[in-house]
Amino acid sequence: MKPEKGQLSMRPATFTTQQCTIAIGVAGAITGTVMYGMSLSTADRIASIMLSSPIRTFDRLAASAIAELGNMITARAICQLAESGLNCDITPPSIIRGTNVKISTLETPAVVIPMVLDVGQIQIDVSLIEREQVNLRAA
Amino acid sequence: MAKKILITDDAQFMRLALRNILTQNGYEVAGEAASGEEAVALYSQLQPDLVTMDITMPGMDGIAALKEIRKVNPSAVIVMCSAMGKKDLVIESIQAGAKDFIVKPFQPERVVETLKKLLG
Repeated sequence: MKPEKGQLSMRPATFTTQQCTIAIGVAGAITGTVMYGMSLSTADRIASIMLSSPIRTFDRLAASAIAELGNMITARAICQLAESGLNCDITPPSIIRGTNVKISTLETPAVVIPMVLDVGQIQIDVSLIEREQVNLRAA
Repeated sequence: MAKKILITDDAQFMRLALRNILTQNGYEVAGEAASGEEAVALYSQLQPDLVTMDITMPGMDGIAALKEIRKVNPSAVIVMCSAMGKKDLVIESIQAGAKDFIVKPFQPERVVETLKKLLG
């Protein structure tokens, strides 16, 4: 199945996470955070595929696989941004697990991109801002 | 004798994926490093034939580690293996002495092809 992009939307700076969230920081010409939210069952399914063996418990190795997925997707996007002249870097990923966790990206709202895959849905939250705008706000 | 390889990546998953590819293709994994500092220390200790080097890692990054190892041994064979395939990073790595640059996600064949080319 080909991944399909759902309806894009904006969300305010504070939002409630899904069961499993991969967070990756971006710094440089563009700064902010990219987050990949999914249910635990989707995370299990993705990790199982990446590890070529079914996940019984979501252990460190499974977490590492999921984190690496976020890392690879974000890095690819950052490379494309660099080619259009916006040079930035990313941080190693962190994983947030648990329900009803509220995350705030302070003043930066986010574009929400739901991706529908055969393993479930991944919600990509892109909360990025160009550095010039950051400077203007500080001034 | 099997060629010895030192794997460097902060992600346990990537270390395992690389280990599987290497061992399935007749290479020996000399060790695994989860950071640049660890790679530099293990390089001197294990003296591997080749090092795979991630770039984005907490602490010392892969390019700094590449430079450190090349100071210890100017003919060290190091292959960058990173999701961050930006042109400037590729150029900087190659100028600092990396022998190749593999962009993640990779196909096992791509890794094996590089190893064969560099180690025979």
